[in-house]
Amino acid sequence: MTLFDSPARVFLAAAALRLVLLVYGGWQDAHSAVKYTDIDYMVFTDAARYVAKGESPYARDTYRYTPLLAWMLVPTAWEGAAPWSTLSFAFGKVLFALSDVLAGWLVVQLLVRCYRFPVERALRYVAAVWLWNPMVANISTRGSSEGLLGVLVAALLWATLTKKPILAGLILGLAVHFKIYPFIYGVSILWWWDAERDGSAMVGSGLLSKALGFVTPSRVKFTVAALASFVALNLVMYLQYGQPFLHHTFFHHLTRIDHRHNFSPYSTLLYLSAAGGAETRFEALAFLPQLILVVVALPLVLAKKSLATAMLAQTFTFVTFNKVCTSQYFLWYLILLPFYLPSSSLIRKPALGISAAILWIAGQALWLHQGYNLEFLGLSSFVPGLFLAGLFFFAVNVWILGIVVRDGGDGGEITVAEK
Amino acid sequence: MKQRITFIQRVDAGFDPQQAVLTASSLSVRGLDAAREDRITVGLDELPEEFRAVLEQSHELHLRWASERSFDAVAPFSSRVSPGLHVHYTPLESDSSSEALCTLLRKVVAPNKDAQYKDCSKQEVFYDHSFPFEGTTWLCSACVRSDPETAVQNSFITPPLRSTQFASSASLQYYTYLPSIQSLVRYIQTTVWDHSRADGPECHTRADALLSADSVDIDYDSISHALTVSGLWTSPPTGGWTDQFQKPESAADQIEFGLLGADAGLEPEEIKMGGLLAVVGHDKKLKPTMFSFPSRHQPLTEPSTYTVSFAPPTGLHPTMSISMPRSSLRRPPAPSDATCALHTYLTLPSTIFGDQYQLATTDTLFLESNNLVALRALAGEMDLEAPDWVVQRWGSNWLLELATPRETEDATTTPDPSNWTATIPLHLRYLPPSETGHRTAHIPWPVVFWACTAEDDTKMGVNPFDRTNLGWDSLFGPRTLFYQLQPAGDRLVEEVDVPVLRLEGGDGYFRGKYIEFGTCIVISLGFLWVLWRLACVAWSSGVGNKRTKGVHDKKE
Repeated sequence: MTLFDSPARVFLAAAALRLVLLVYGGWQDAHSAVKYTDIDYMVFTDAARYVAKGESPYARDTYRYTPLLAWMLVPTAWEGAAPWSTLSFAFGKVLFALSDVLAGWLVVQLLVRCYRFPVERALRYVAAVWLWNPMVANISTRGSSEGLLGVLVAALLWATLTKKPILAGLILGLAVHFKIYPFIYGVSILWWWDAERDGSAMVGSGLLSKALGFVTPSRVKFTVAALASFVALNLVMYLQYGQPFLHHTFFHHLTRIDHRHNFSPYSTLLYLSAAGGAETRFEALAFLPQLILVVVALPLVLAKKSLATAMLAQTFTFVTFNKVCTSQYFLWYLILLPFYLPSSSLIRKPALGISAAILWIAGQALWLHQGYNLEFLGLSSFVPGLFLAGLFFFAVNVWILGIVVRDGGDGGEITVAEK
Repeated sequence: MKQRITFIQRVDAGFDPQQAVLTASSLSVRGLDAAREDRITVGLDELPEEFRAVLEQSHELHLRWASERSFDAVAPFSSRVSPGLHVHYTPLESDSSSEALCTLLRKVVAPNKDAQYKDCSKQEVFYDHSFPFEGTTWLCSACVRSDPETAVQNSFITPPLRSTQFASSASLQYYTYLPSIQSLVRYIQTTVWDHSRADGPECHTRADALLSADSVDIDYDSISHALTVSGLWTSPPTGGWTDQFQKPESAADQIEFGLLGADAGLEPEEIKMGGLLAVVGHDKKLKPTMFSFPSRHQPLTEPSTYTVSFAPPTGLHPTMSISMPRSSLRRPPAPSDATCALHTYLTLPSTIFGDQYQLATTDTLFLESNNLVALRALAGEMDLEAPDWVVQRWGSNWLLELATPRETEDATTTPDPSNWTATIPLHLRYLPPSETGHRTAHIPWPVVFWACTAEDDTKMGVNPFDRTNLGWDSLFGPRTLFYQLQPAGDRLVEEVDVPVLRLEGGDGYFRGKYIEFGTCIVISLGFLWVLWRLACVAWSSGVGNKRTKGVHDKKE
């Protein structure tokens, strides 16, 4: 296939797909009472309008993001005559869509330079999983900010694999400031960046020298840069917007009661206990399995073998074991899939791969069917419907996770350090 | 104590002078076909201590209760509120506790088991331990503070409502679904007028009569230091009104009697009334009278009705439909220089809510598809995410301007028989689990009315039948005329089925324990499975770098 010979063609096609969706979205918004634009985008642009007027973005209810996002979208608040207002309104979507394409480009670069992929093969995977994935293009052109996370994670991996510890640290700090969950990558990257990779001198075998040997220059630079950018960003935002910034960007996510139905296996239990009907408080310990796996076990076992696969497994675990899970969370691990898939047993053994895909889709379909019954038909499908569907989907995800972990241990990553 | 008994006869109702007979000591009526309003005014010092204590802390207190039965409003009593109990309250000191009032309200409302009743109190959220099962009282807290400033700021109104318009509105507002005022009547009988008083038995009868009233108002303000209780019956009992009013024993008490008919006045904002008046025991005979006065509440000359429904399936996002025959939507007979617009005022209990950002939109496609013009004002609980058991305030109020069919449609020779329907998308909150997997949300029908605002900003003259503090009236200028549409239905409360988590007590199949242990076991197994896989990897190749492939770290 000649299409994949040329990166330009692949990226132009990806850009064209997004442009078509942007134009179509504008048309649907202007001609239908049912909007293409995501409700979250209305929250961002409302917040941007407040910021443009010199007010706090948190004046908008349910704005639960960093002020950076509202600042970036200030052009959407510019008013003008008819064609200009439509264009300025779409500014944020264009930004998110460009981030998507940039994220894809970074992944291709990494696959070619560090994973020794032929360009065509790299393009093929990235196009299939990310660039030409209609779900990804749809989410960013509807105005969801998840695309920005994609580019930050891709950039983080790129800076790490190309051995730029300070840059990687700065990106990590920014990503965590943006959306708390990327902190999990910090652990993997730290463990990965040992003396051998750092190129610094190997040390002796004594306990003390091993401990000292852990402190490699790259690890120090990475940690300091990450903390610096995270603290600096939060300090600036706190000085500017005070307590509401801390509350909405961080504390809200820690204290919310996710009682509404969602893909998480905890969802029915959380509804039960939030309403005061639970005798035990298992959900209070929900962070334990999630964090033990994500912060300790997965980085320890997998990070040094294959950093990208470890990060994929971490994200997958984080989402699977999380107390709340919606479909936008699936985008979080999609960007890391091109690093893992080519050498995975899901591709090597088509029967396994197809089974995994079918089971995952079946899990979604079962849940969505129950969700539809509840949300639109008003049937009381919390138990057993949604409860069992949630647990089944969890089981499927855990099974796939087991495959990813096994592959991460023996398949895998061949990275070539940049000179 | 002063009593005012007003009978309003329709123009076509027959009247025979023998039906109302005044003697030196009493007045009796017989078989009278009329609407009736009883208004009793009591001085603060005539009230029992408990009740007086509450009033003494109040600057203003207005209770408005309307029955959920359909009734025909009659001029000059044509104003309406949504069925249920509305409380408008301004404490004397802005920071003083409303606890005394709340204690009183708890007696007046006497919530049933399992009623979706938001307790008006400052208590912390409290749950009965037997929770999802029967015997639950929902004790949450606090009345809605509809701060005029915030109400203006949050409503996204262009042009914004002038805050001076809120000058007459109370600072705290509370609503609860209340199909019957039985406990209010019992409270009046046992506490306010007990049997020991000379007029006790008569007051008992009067209080009992309130049970069949279509609407009841209770008003107090710290300037008059008097409490007024009004009951309105828009239609007579079978056989007409037969009653006797004795001259009061005490010289301080008084009974006024009126038998009147209402008609349109000379000016569009006026109502003309004529008939017979008397003060029982004071006047020798019924005095014929004729007078007219400006009135903010006006009757519509042509019968105009609306119905409210939720199209099934309602799911978690029910849409309220307000349907009106197109013939109901002619411009009311307001002065020609007045601007008239059709409005609806929603009283939504906390179980159901609107999304202020969705409804305040200026997107014409959305508004036109729902036959809405704009969201004009909103107050109360706006949280989009909280479950009902976390919400402390009783709910929210929404004033929406509705679109009307274009004039051109009216001009067509054959009238369009189809209804004109405005729709308002709403959302349900999560409710606590129940044994059946369902709970019912009681949603009162909103009021629908024309508001005709004149440029003139002078105050509306007072009249003996005026009615204010209805919640929606204070959102308009002082000289606005209101024309109510008539709700047409057997019951003016919609019941919406809310799906909830199904939990059974005892040995049932749906038990909380199964959810708790099921989740715990599945998560633990999943956790152990991943750990096991990781252990296998660590066992076979350690936790360090993979050294199996020779290409590692080779440089090109």
